[in-house]
Amino acid sequence: MTEDFNRRIMERKVVITACSALTPIGHGKQQILHSLRNGISGVKPLRDDGLLSDHIHSKVFGTIDYPVEFDFKRSHRKTMGPVAFYACQVVKEVLEQAGLDDNFITSGRLGVAFGSTHGSPTVQRNIYKTFFSGSKDQFSNVSAVDYLKSMVHTTAVNITKMFGITGRVISSSTACTTSSQSIGFGYEMVKFGLQDAMICGGADEYDTTTVAVFDNLLACSTAFNDTPHLTPRPFEARRDGLVVGEGAGAVLLEEYNRAKKRGADILGEVIGFSCNNNGGDLILPNARGIKETIRLGLESARIRAEDVDFISAHATGTKMGDVIEAQAIHGIFGDTVYVTGLKSYMGHTMGTCGVIETIIALYMMEKGFIAPTLNLEKIDKRCAMIKHVTNLVESDIRTALIQNFAFGGVNTCLILKKISNPNQH
Amino acid sequence: MKLEREYILKELGRIFNEKFEINNPGAGDDLREEHEFDSIDAIELLVEIERILGFPLSQEQKKMAMDVRTIDQICDYIQKMESARV
Repeated sequence: MTEDFNRRIMERKVVITACSALTPIGHGKQQILHSLRNGISGVKPLRDDGLLSDHIHSKVFGTIDYPVEFDFKRSHRKTMGPVAFYACQVVKEVLEQAGLDDNFITSGRLGVAFGSTHGSPTVQRNIYKTFFSGSKDQFSNVSAVDYLKSMVHTTAVNITKMFGITGRVISSSTACTTSSQSIGFGYEMVKFGLQDAMICGGADEYDTTTVAVFDNLLACSTAFNDTPHLTPRPFEARRDGLVVGEGAGAVLLEEYNRAKKRGADILGEVIGFSCNNNGGDLILPNARGIKETIRLGLESARIRAEDVDFISAHATGTKMGDVIEAQAIHGIFGDTVYVTGLKSYMGHTMGTCGVIETIIALYMMEKGFIAPTLNLEKIDKRCAMIKHVTNLVESDIRTALIQNFAFGGVNTCLILKKISNPNQH
Repeated sequence: MKLEREYILKELGRIFNEKFEINNPGAGDDLREEHEFDSIDAIELLVEIERILGFPLSQEQKKMAMDVRTIDQICDYIQKMESARV
């Protein structure tokens, strides 16, 4: 019986049947593809926030500077800060795209794995302003819903509320691996039969406190303040740090047979996931830890290194991080697999980067091309041992690997496979 | 000066319209059932009620408002709180 159970679990496939992203380089597939194909950056000047922006050395931000129409009724809006607006918007688009039956959405067999770096910093900032105002009259300015807007799992539960989802709720909040963990944990929920489908992703809103933190750690880009589109520069000789950004992304994971039966479009299959910790320093990247994550990811997917066609590197554009990542990639793959640092287009969208990079990998898988790392004019010699994509490559991606690393020493690796669509006519 | 019921109703109409996006609720409508007015909204409404009354309510007085369901009952509650003050 155990063997039979194990066999059934191993045969259970998890596919992605809908996705949507709201990013500094566009909203939805067409705009994002346009930016990727034309080398358009979403990095813009840092806005004046009346608090920190004057003191921050880095004056750039991966910005959503186009209008987004949020058509949410008040009973939903009232518990949402900006980060939850982003999250609910991409999930709304995913559910519309997927065409799931309402009865299934509320059945308990659909769950949510969604997170953000720290709830809504805009709302948190207002709460602290009130706390430190010294005025008793200001006390009532702390609204009854401020906690619901600012709590760490605000995105996940606002999603469940808006769509009446009653299944499992996972709300990862591990900084830069937040949404890659969401997809990975969602994958495990479906793979191991605990849910039939999961909505997974992450969101982060415009926030200067995150910039200030990285700025104080001397990790932010400052040399391109007058030419924002020229930074970040992953793996490039003149790179000088990361650029913080905002965004949101969501994917729908479904058990393959269920998706096939209902006639869903299959965008790709998740075939592996790994997550580990460096077991030491909470900030410094670690080649041994990264290599182990990749090794575990390949083992989970039951594939060999040579089966991978494309790697979406974490590649934030920091001086040491990119070198260590390149060493780790080279240690496993040599110089045979195409590598792109997608943050070069939009900066580091923090908790959202994993899902946005996953969605971009799906888009490129569908269209048969690989976008280059933007601003990669002169490759740093210490990063040169891997196969960088410096110009757009028309190439079929059958298997893609998306890796992300976070403060706290957390590493993730997601592996996607192109799948022939059984419902394509 | 005693608050007139007509004035209270007018103020509540404005508050429900502007703050809760509930237009012209019937005086006897069950706000929870018919207008999705929940406990979070009730807390927000108490801030507005304190403004109408012109004085703060105690925690005990606020808890008494949690059973209120209709515009009529909100009017009754406001007048009761005002009388208690006097």
